[in-house]
Amino acid sequence: MKISYNWLKEYIETNETPQHISELLTNCGLEVEGLEEVASVRGSLEGVVIGQVSQKEKHPNADKLSLTKVRINENTVLDIVCGAPNVEAGQKVLVATVGAKIYTQEDSFTIKKTKIRGAVSEGMICSEKELGLGEAEDGIMVLPADAPVGNAAADYFNIEKDWVFEIGLTPNRADAAFHMGVARDLAAVINNKNNYKNGKTVSYKPLNSIDFDNFPKTQSKPISITIEDTNACKRYAGILIKNITVKPSPEWLQNKLKFIGLKPHNNIVDISNYLLFAYGQPLHIFDADAIKGQKVLVKKYDHNFDFTTLDGADHKLTPDDLMICNADGPMCIAGIYGGLNSGVTHQTKNIFIESAYFNPIDIRKTAKRLGLKTDSSFRFERGTDPNIAVKVLQKATAVILENAGGQIASDVIDVYPAPVEPLYVDFKYNNFYKISGSSISHEHIKNILNDLEIKILKENNDGLQITIPPYRVDVTREIDVIEEVMRIYGFNNIALPQKVNASATHFPKNNYEAVIQKFSDYLSHNGYIEIMNNSLTKYDYYKDHNFFDIEKCVRILNPLSKDLEMMRRSLIYGALEVVLHNINRNISDMKLFEVGKSYSHNKLEKGLEKYQEAYNFMLLHTGKQYKESWQKPETPHDFFSLKSELNKTLKGLGIDILKIKTSDNVPEFFDYGLSYIYKDAVLAHFGCISSKVLKYFDIKQDVFYAELYGAQLIQVINDSTFVYKEASKYPAMRRDLALLIDNKTRFIEIEEMARNQNIKQLQSINLFDIYKGENIPDGKKSYAVSFTFQDDNRTLTDKEVDKIMKSLMQLYQKKINAVIR
Amino acid sequence: MKTQITEWLLEVERFTTTNSKDLEDFRVKFLGKKGHLAHAFEAFKNIPPEERKEYGQHVNNLKSKVNDKIAELRASIDRSSTTGSDTTKDIDLTAPVDIHDLGSRHPLSIVRKDIIKIFERLGFYVSDGPEIEDDWHIFTALNFPQDHPARDMQDTFFIEKKPDIALRTHTSSVQVRVMQNNSPPIRTISPGRVFRNEAISARAHCIFHQIEGLYINKDVSFADLKQTLLYFAQEMFDKDTHIRLRPSYFPFTEPSAEMDVSCKLCKGKGCNICKYTGWVEILGCGMVDPNVLENCNIDSSIYSGFAFGMGVERMTMLKYDIKDLRIFFENDLNFLKQFASL
Repeated sequence: MKISYNWLKEYIETNETPQHISELLTNCGLEVEGLEEVASVRGSLEGVVIGQVSQKEKHPNADKLSLTKVRINENTVLDIVCGAPNVEAGQKVLVATVGAKIYTQEDSFTIKKTKIRGAVSEGMICSEKELGLGEAEDGIMVLPADAPVGNAAADYFNIEKDWVFEIGLTPNRADAAFHMGVARDLAAVINNKNNYKNGKTVSYKPLNSIDFDNFPKTQSKPISITIEDTNACKRYAGILIKNITVKPSPEWLQNKLKFIGLKPHNNIVDISNYLLFAYGQPLHIFDADAIKGQKVLVKKYDHNFDFTTLDGADHKLTPDDLMICNADGPMCIAGIYGGLNSGVTHQTKNIFIESAYFNPIDIRKTAKRLGLKTDSSFRFERGTDPNIAVKVLQKATAVILENAGGQIASDVIDVYPAPVEPLYVDFKYNNFYKISGSSISHEHIKNILNDLEIKILKENNDGLQITIPPYRVDVTREIDVIEEVMRIYGFNNIALPQKVNASATHFPKNNYEAVIQKFSDYLSHNGYIEIMNNSLTKYDYYKDHNFFDIEKCVRILNPLSKDLEMMRRSLIYGALEVVLHNINRNISDMKLFEVGKSYSHNKLEKGLEKYQEAYNFMLLHTGKQYKESWQKPETPHDFFSLKSELNKTLKGLGIDILKIKTSDNVPEFFDYGLSYIYKDAVLAHFGCISSKVLKYFDIKQDVFYAELYGAQLIQVINDSTFVYKEASKYPAMRRDLALLIDNKTRFIEIEEMARNQNIKQLQSINLFDIYKGENIPDGKKSYAVSFTFQDDNRTLTDKEVDKIMKSLMQLYQKKINAVIR
Repeated sequence: MKTQITEWLLEVERFTTTNSKDLEDFRVKFLGKKGHLAHAFEAFKNIPPEERKEYGQHVNNLKSKVNDKIAELRASIDRSSTTGSDTTKDIDLTAPVDIHDLGSRHPLSIVRKDIIKIFERLGFYVSDGPEIEDDWHIFTALNFPQDHPARDMQDTFFIEKKPDIALRTHTSSVQVRVMQNNSPPIRTISPGRVFRNEAISARAHCIFHQIEGLYINKDVSFADLKQTLLYFAQEMFDKDTHIRLRPSYFPFTEPSAEMDVSCKLCKGKGCNICKYTGWVEILGCGMVDPNVLENCNIDSSIYSGFAFGMGVERMTMLKYDIKDLRIFFENDLNFLKQFASL
């Protein structure tokens, strides 16, 4: 919203600079986002003077150019090459001298001393358009003979200058969406700043009723007004004016509107805009001859109907929409947009001015549904002042009579069945001090309230009984009044306490936060880069593959685009997008992780229960594990590099790895892989991403991927309580076994068989060599397995360890047909 | 004595060295005239006769282990003393070793953690809540009236309509849940992802992250809010940072304010970052509206509180002078890797 400095000063006497006013307004809640100097003519005609052409000759080298001598003061005559056909000796003209700026539509240039086709030129004789004084561009502008040579053009044309504030108005401040309202706040903050010193206080000039004594009283109501829906329309006032002339507005009015970014139309439209931005009351002006049956009805219809607005657009209206109608039908969508057939045109002679108060909710609903946002609806839906409607109507009448002629042809017709009363509020000083934490005096508080037109009805030592004017739609409770006082007093003037106010609070521990941080820190310290993907993703990913139950996808009703139409079920597709993005930028070796939510939907539940969110944790390896180096041969990532990191990460989170079971069941997006299971639910899947998926993403290298599921992770962490144990003082003993076994037999079987014996001295089992080939029969392999034993209380003897080993050997021979080598 | 011998055995097993002097010390410690073995043999006479055989085996075992150890280490030391010096000289110690890259946290995670740490020092707990929420938690409980222009302030992604289920547009919904499930004093911060139906550009994204804070107790004032936020700003930026509060409007706080900090780049003189104002807006805050307290079953005549909220992306952009919001979700490793040391 734009507010003009000069216009503002019509309502408040102040010498504060525009810059200081910006600061004052910002500090009281009307944030000035920009301050700009403006002029009725761009560049304010700086460097342009009135001159007289004393001599004109044809340019020797150009047919269309003239060489002129132009006197611009007593002592100076300039040589100017001029291209205008109408230049003649003796003319008084406007000369842009060296250094002056000429503005074109989108650009500007500076006048320089130059040579045109060999002739010196020390300036430019300008056209109306070149100076921004008018539209004429087919010749230079010739001034009357009495124009004083040497005078600045800016003085001759009375250029108006102004400053414009761009205010970012918050939706609650309907009371300050116009100049008088801003002046009201400004007066309050200036007085607060000057501490209400005698003689230094200012006040804004409110709009008073105008007595139409000077105009003949008609005592007639040639138009009747009926409000059918008194809930949607609390007040409707109008006046009839006859024999007006629609024409361009006077310059002062055009400038006013231009400065605040409005385009002047004609005197009638401009005047209604003027009053809107001055006093915040939207007016609607009808061509009175379009009011059939001399009846104005404010009502809602009981059926749907079509309506064409002033701009020619067709709209479908419903029984929810408030309309202004005549005896035949609707003329205007109340408070929002006029109709095609009742608006003011250049032929209009008689007008009916509407000044009303509509219920904000009705206006907002209709405006929102129709997608119509007008200066009028903007104000009505935020709430206007019902009690100013008639005063603005009177003011509009006066301005119209002055600038468009005509005669008043009716009284002010005012239908206001139930006047809106001010609101009563009890204000307790203690509550103010409690909330603000400040110690402003009672007197100061009362001064602020007074400036905000909040009336004090009763008072005692504890507080005040006050009334709030109806135009302060955002002030309805004591807390709102507290805010008003603080806002004017200045948030920055509230002193800081000496100590931080804190309380010892006890709160359920947030497991996820700690686990996420531990997981992330561990991985980032081990060479992984954390990525962060959008939770919104392509439905196509899920539809094209069918790895996830499509029914369970959470879809967006109003997505931004097809790429962002559902909530991800897994972190996998985002991760693959990142792999591809970076491969395309020549980074092909990566270790990545992400922690993020996955979302799913369960039709069987109700309401919010339908939607489940869970934290997923992702690790990804692709490319080389060891880069080309003198130390180690270049090695690609493989399943085991991922498994190793995954196991270390789990241990790092304090998980007792022995509690986890391993399964071969993995989702189909893996070519091969394993799952970790805890208490019958999947804790993690990990493996090599299937070539089909890689092809879909056009990734041409292996990707090893692990996804962990938050709920199981938290559970296994919670079940793995840390217990300190004294380290054994007794030596450990190692025994190695070479087992010739079937190719299909897996290490986990060998390990589990040993573990299931519950040998308490068995510390660890390791596979330290795998051998196939020479001397090994087909379909067989040789596993070199080591077993480490240790007792907490004594040194183990060879004899007892040998005995354990013997039983293990028998077990392997029997259960997996192992041959002990 | 038996446990003593077991301990010595363990010591022998663990002992290792690469220099002759340590090895000699070891030898004297065990085999010297006053060494452990001499001590052990001397103790022989105090052992009951029926245990002497076993004890003797232990001591002899210890002795042979010590001798083995000495022989083994002697051989290894001799080997390196004849050839070692030359090989060490030949090694090029300046050869490069960077076969592993450093990892890194995402810049948004780094700044999120920084912010949380500051508030944790002030006794705020981290709380969490769902991103898919109902209208009540996102809007109604937070005093956004139906059909009020304030609802237009945030463009919402809907999952279901009538009754509305949507993606939360702010983490204030978590505060509602915290207030419903706990009684004052409440002191919490809620970090999380939020969603707005806005076209993606350098300055706006359909997802971003917020951190909101809430403190509810008896006698919590706006001045307390200022105090807390000043501490935060000075910890986050530097201790010379100033703050400025401008009245603003949020449906869930009254009064509401936006907070600016003095521009750290130009120290308030005016620059590109602060658009020549000397101030940079970093967060919104205010006193929790009594309607919100009542909606969450907290008696507003007894309790008051403050709340504040900030965007992690915005703080990160300010901190590292990042110009384009989109870069956070592009996951370009050349961008992400730069944050390895943070």
